[in-house]
Amino acid sequence: MAAMEASRCPDPADHGLSTPFVLDRRSILARLGEDEEIYQVMVDMFVHDVHDNCAALAAALEAGDAVALSREAHTVKGLLAMFSDEAGAAHAFWLEGQAKAGRVAGLAEAVACLQARLRQVAAALGA
Amino acid sequence: MHSVLIVDDSDINLTLIKALVLKLGECSPVLFDKPLDALEWCRGNVPDLVIVDYMMPDMDGLRFIAAFRALHGRNEIPVLMITANDQKDVRYEALLGGANDFLTKPIDRVEFSARARNMLSLRTGQKFLADRAEHLSALVDERTAEIREREKELIFRISRAAEFRDPETGPHIQRMAHYSRIIAGGLDLPPETQQLILEAAPMHDVGKIGIPDYILLKPGRLTPEEMEVMKGHARLGHELLKDSRSEIMRAGALVAISHHEKYDGSGYPNGLKGGQIPLFGRIVAVADVFDALTSERPYKRAWSLDDACRYLEDGRGKHFDPLCVESLLAGWEQVLEIRQRFRDEEVPPL
Repeated sequence: MAAMEASRCPDPADHGLSTPFVLDRRSILARLGEDEEIYQVMVDMFVHDVHDNCAALAAALEAGDAVALSREAHTVKGLLAMFSDEAGAAHAFWLEGQAKAGRVAGLAEAVACLQARLRQVAAALGA
Repeated sequence: MHSVLIVDDSDINLTLIKALVLKLGECSPVLFDKPLDALEWCRGNVPDLVIVDYMMPDMDGLRFIAAFRALHGRNEIPVLMITANDQKDVRYEALLGGANDFLTKPIDRVEFSARARNMLSLRTGQKFLADRAEHLSALVDERTAEIREREKELIFRISRAAEFRDPETGPHIQRMAHYSRIIAGGLDLPPETQQLILEAAPMHDVGKIGIPDYILLKPGRLTPEEMEVMKGHARLGHELLKDSRSEIMRAGALVAISHHEKYDGSGYPNGLKGGQIPLFGRIVAVADVFDALTSERPYKRAWSLDDACRYLEDGRGKHFDPLCVESLLAGWEQVLEIRQRFRDEEVPPL
């Protein structure tokens, strides 16, 4: 039964990934104490690192490394939460939990969803 | 300036936290993306605040805190741990493992500043108390040293007061005290005991204060009755010093009452024999007689060193403890140095 569950891709609607990311600059800035300088540094780093983050997720999945996949999903969860993407963070959290439980097989689609979300957020931030 | 250690494997988090730490003011952030490298740094450096992420490869935040706390002197340093909102169990474990407070992701600047400032205030308080304790300890050491110096000076002056009523001199007190220390060293007594006899020996004749002038200063030979009164100085010195709270004074009491005892039991005031005589008394007996023999007095010329040594050797097992005589002779180089250092015409400063 667990294997059956692991083979399923989560319904993106469950985490709200079907809804496009909308940048809420005000809430992010509020959290950073209205510091535009820090905000811009964070944005630049996120955009700069997005390719590496996607690659790390893919490498962990391809290697079947549950620990690494859990850790990368955890990192991405924090990054998306930093930019107030609650849906993306929830999806990363789900993925982290699956990997932590050792259910790596069949997560390809879920990882692809998360990668797509990362790129979407990066595009919004870089626009 | 506070040193703030930040440990997080994520570059973006390191950058964010560093920026927030700098905004606190008076802080110098030290960044590590590898917990093991951070621990290595901590072996030689003491941060004022540690901010550590929970989820890191190689070593998670819980293990980092445990290893950090195990380092000497790092037990009190505030640690802030960064966790996700969903990691309540981790927070409990971290609290039990030595974390002082938490930050949740995504990091909020207001919350971060408040918690970090609280932790730095705690650290400032710790340092203040530590500095104060150290300062007070140094002050106590300083005052204790002053009191001890005063005690030594007082003892020297008491001893001199007795010697002023006697033909003997200040340098005699110094020499016989140092000879006593040389003998104690030759007997392999511990350094603190050697120091104690050095400081106590000068009081050997303090009881002479209580001897009437007509006897103490009598130019001619004493009558048997007068001699008995004179011998009383040993008990008088003991009575004067015995109940002191000062260890040196109590040792002085022992020296006073036992330095005229003789190894064969023919001495006074108690006619003790051999090992019955307190060791300090046996030591001072040799030192005092040797210096008296080798010093010039108004009523006698100084003996030669050879004659004095012969006298001591002849007196082994009779007047003197043989081991004490051997110890003095074994330290001959030091004896000569003391004779040179404390000549009768000058009294060196204390």
